Parts: sequence; structure tokens; C-alpha cells
Amino acid sequence: MSESNATGEVYWDPYRPDINLDPYPYFKRLREQAPLYYNKEYDFYALSRFDDINKYFSDTTTFSSARSDIMEFIKEDDLEIPDGMFIWHDPPRHTSYRNIVTRVFTPRRMNELESKIRAYCARCLDPMIGETNFNFIDDFGAQLPGGVIGMLLGIPDEDRDIIRDRIDNSLRTESGKPMESSQSSYQGEGFEDYVEWRKNNPSNDLMTDLLNAEFTDPDGVKRKLTTEEVLIFINVIAGAGNETTSRLIGWTGKLLGDHPDQRRQIAKDLSLVPAAIEEILRCEPPGPSVARYVTKDVEIHGQIVPAGAVMQFILSSANRDESRFADGEKFNIHREGSPHITFGRGVHACLGAALARVEGRVGLEEMLKRFPDWELDMANAEMSASSTTRGWDSLPAFLR
Amino acid sequence: MAKIKFIEFSGKEHDVEIANGTSIMQAALDENVRGIVGDCGGSCSCATCHIYVDESWLDKIEVKSEMEEILLEEVCDPQDNSRLSCQIIVSDALDGMVLRVPEKQF
Ligand code: HEM
Ligand code: FES
Repeated sequence: MSESNATGEVYWDPYRPDINLDPYPYFKRLREQAPLYYNKEYDFYALSRFDDINKYFSDTTTFSSARSDIMEFIKEDDLEIPDGMFIWHDPPRHTSYRNIVTRVFTPRRMNELESKIRAYCARCLDPMIGETNFNFIDDFGAQLPGGVIGMLLGIPDEDRDIIRDRIDNSLRTESGKPMESSQSSYQGEGFEDYVEWRKNNPSNDLMTDLLNAEFTDPDGVKRKLTTEEVLIFINVIAGAGNETTSRLIGWTGKLLGDHPDQRRQIAKDLSLVPAAIEEILRCEPPGPSVARYVTKDVEIHGQIVPAGAVMQFILSSANRDESRFADGEKFNIHREGSPHITFGRGVHACLGAALARVEGRVGLEEMLKRFPDWELDMANAEMSASSTTRGWDSLPAFLR
Repeated sequence: MAKIKFIEFSGKEHDVEIANGTSIMQAALDENVRGIVGDCGGSCSCATCHIYVDESWLDKIEVKSEMEEILLEEVCDPQDNSRLSCQIIVSDALDGMVLRVPEKQF
């Protein structure tokens, strides 16, 4: 056990790999003893209680996304955010762009993809039947999300892995260190060729929809998206939807590996799957915290947070806040009560939540149909080092 | 203040006194009514707060915005009496309203 853990010091270092392995005792102390936490070393504030996060998320005037939602980028002096990167816009600019896609990523449309997603799962999982070793990431988690986004966009299968690797690498940190602020997440290249090609070859896919969409831009002009904006949209969607959903699949393998009794209940009764996915999302959020830029002095818990500060909203702490979630540290698929906050809240709440849920649900069903029993090989598992997501880079298991 | 009845898909009922100005979505979450999710916290973008409004109350509620109209075509099992509960703000006029929670939000 690390020193600070043993002495119960109120402390959180988002870059320390040992803390990252199990940050929850640290979060519990933050909630109890420092609901407004300040970290001197990296100069940021953090909120950890559910009610605080729920409340302050909606105040986008004070807690701005216009300098990104990643601490390292917020601190950068010459950060430039192009129009259309709506994850990093405030209203009304955000509203004008997000409205274009709000109607596309809805529960109904995402559920309509179910049979295609199921077929894609079968393609990943069928070759593993009869094997004794299975890696939740290499063999499944790293493939499904990119495959599904490619499917949405109309990108040929064989090119998807290249695109995924490029984006994920741009969001990775060196173990124990802050992310290099020069990294250009969400702005990577690689989709240009498809966009150009789609202009002349329209089809029934998201890329074509984006090319044709009419919207009222932040200056009040009714127009179509420029090619650059279409590219930015695609990069935002692919960047936000790939690694996160891959992590969800990893955590599914981990938590159900650690709780074989609950796994057997689900395998016996697949109607438990949606609740199980919600509980996995609550217990281990793939994106554990998001950051905001503080635009003006604000008093929280009797202390002034100054304009210009960085505020971390620790979603994975809020999800275990005992005042909302009785026995919050416990994994229990039969839990009743409050929904989790893993997809964020307010105007920036995850656009892809309905899609991630279908992927998580269908992915788990298809795994359980083929491999109802597994044992984790934790000696060979690897935890990620990334400022934006938390989860397994490699999670091997023995199939039974 | 209005007294409002929520009926969960399971049939379980909640009779709740709700202060004016509160959204039905928020009241449902505060009351732990099962089946209301509300990911976007009332920003009218997630469509996970879908609810069925007892017909006789439909014309007492504020009319739908364009975005709510769009999203209501996108929920699971939309009906003529579907609304997004985050867009229904409680007032005295809604006293006695009955709401049913759909089977699922996603
Ligand atoms: C389990 C998987 C996922 C998790 C945990 C997750 C989590 C989140 C969170 C916490 C936010 C809010 C960020 C903030 O407030 O600054 C967010 C935003 C977003 N997510 Fe996801 N996400 C997931 C999957 C996806 C997928 C599959 C897609 C797309 C296909 C996606 C697209 C987006 C976009 C575009 C935004 C920005 C929304 C906006 O700013 O209006 N996400 N996500
Ligand atoms: S809470 Fe998201 S649309 Fe109502």
C-alpha cells in the first residue's frame, strides 16, 4: 500500500500509476474530507461529490469547455479550437453544431443498428470458439467500437484499424506524466480521402448526412458544413467513441470476471444484461473525469476558486457517492435507484451514449452466448496510461 | 405545488408532491422512479426521460419545442401522448396529473 493510502492523506494525483490502479479509496477521502480539493503540484481543483458535479456541470458560463475538457490542453497558452469541434465549444456555438447530430445518435436509430452490431461481434468472436485464451481488448474491445463507427460512417473494414490506432495514440500519455500539450487529439488526419470520395458517391451513411446537413451557424447564417467542419465532426465522433467503448468492454470482462456469481446469473437470464451494463458503467467509468476552465471567481464549500483555474469533475467518484448510491463501492447488477453520471451531464452529455449502450449490451450477450465462463489472467493484464480514459490495454483470460 | 402520480412499467405507483418550477424528470429522479434516466440533465438532447402523459392533461402542458418534436420520434415506442419529462415544468395547473413510465429508454 502506498504511503498516502496508509496514512489516509487527502490526496489525488491523476498521473500516478499506482493510484490509477485503484483510485477509489482516494476519492472516498476527497468526498468526505475535501469536497473541494486543490492539488498544488499540478495546480487544479476537483469536485468529487455527486450533487456538486450534477449542480456545477450545468453552469457552462462559469465552467467553460471552450478551452477543451482535458486539463493539459486547458493550461496551454496558444490553444486553438476550430469551429465545429463542439465538444470544446460553449453554448450558443455548441448548440448550433451539436443540434446537427443530436437527431442522429438517438436511442431508436442506435437500436436499429443492433443486428449489424451483432453480426460484427460474431465476426470477432466466432474465430475464438474452442480457444482457451481470450483477450478482452485485443480480440474484441479494440475492434468492435472502431468497426461500428466505421459502419456508421461508411468506411471500408480494412481501413478501420489504421484510423483507430492513429487517434488512440494521439490521446495517450507516458506513464506517470501529464499529456504532452502539443498532441493534437481529435484533429488527426486520415478521413479526407473518404470525405472527398463520398461527396461524389453519396450513400446511406453518417458521412453523407453530414455533407448534406443544413444548419444555422453561430453567426446566424443558414448553410451546409464546410468540408473542414465535416472532418472535424468525424474526428470528434471517432475520437470520443473509440477508446471509451473499448474500455467499457474491458471493464465488462474485468468486473464479471471478478464476480462469477453475477456473471452466471446474467448468462442464465440475458434480460439482466442492460442493468449489468449500467452497473459496469457506474462502477468503472471509461472516462473517469472531465475538466473545465473556470471563467470567473466562484465560491464552493466556503472557498473561492479563482478565475483561470482548472476544475476536474471526478465522475467516477460521484458514481460511488454513498449519499446517492447505497453501498456505492459494491458491484451489484440488481442495484435500484439513481442513474450514474458516466456519460456526463448537461449540454455536453455524451452524444454516443445510446450507441455505447447498444455496443456494450450486444457485445456482452454475444460473449456470454459463446463463453459463459472465464478466469482472468491478471498477472499479464496491463492498465492504460491516458489522461482521458481509464481501463485495460490488455486483459487476457482463460476460457472455460 | 402539484400532486403527481408516476406509474412505473412494473405497475408500482409513486404519488409525489412537487414544487412549482421543478421539471418532472428531476422530480422522478429525486423520487427514485425507475425507468427515467435523464443523461443530459434536461438539455433536451438525450431522449432518455421519455414519459407517457395521461391524455386529459396533454393540453395543460407547455407545447413542444422543435427539438423535443424531433427527439420524440426517436424514443423507444413513441405514442401520441409521449413527452420528454425534462420539458414538463410543474405548476399548480398540473395538480392531479398521471404519468406512465415506458418499458425502456434505450
Ligand atoms: C462507454 C463509452 C463512452 C463513455 C464513457 C463516454 C463518455 C463521455 C463523456 C463523459 C462526455 C462528456 C464530456 C464533457 O462533458 O466534457 C462525452 C461526450 C461526448 N461523447 Fe462520449 N462516451 C462514450 C462513448 C461515445 C461514443 C460511442 C460516441 C460516438 C459515437 C461518443 C461521442 C461523444 C461526443 C461527440 C461527445 C461530445 C458531446 C458534446 O460536447 O456535446 N461517446 N462522452
Ligand atoms: S433529460 Fe435529456 S432529453 Fe430530457
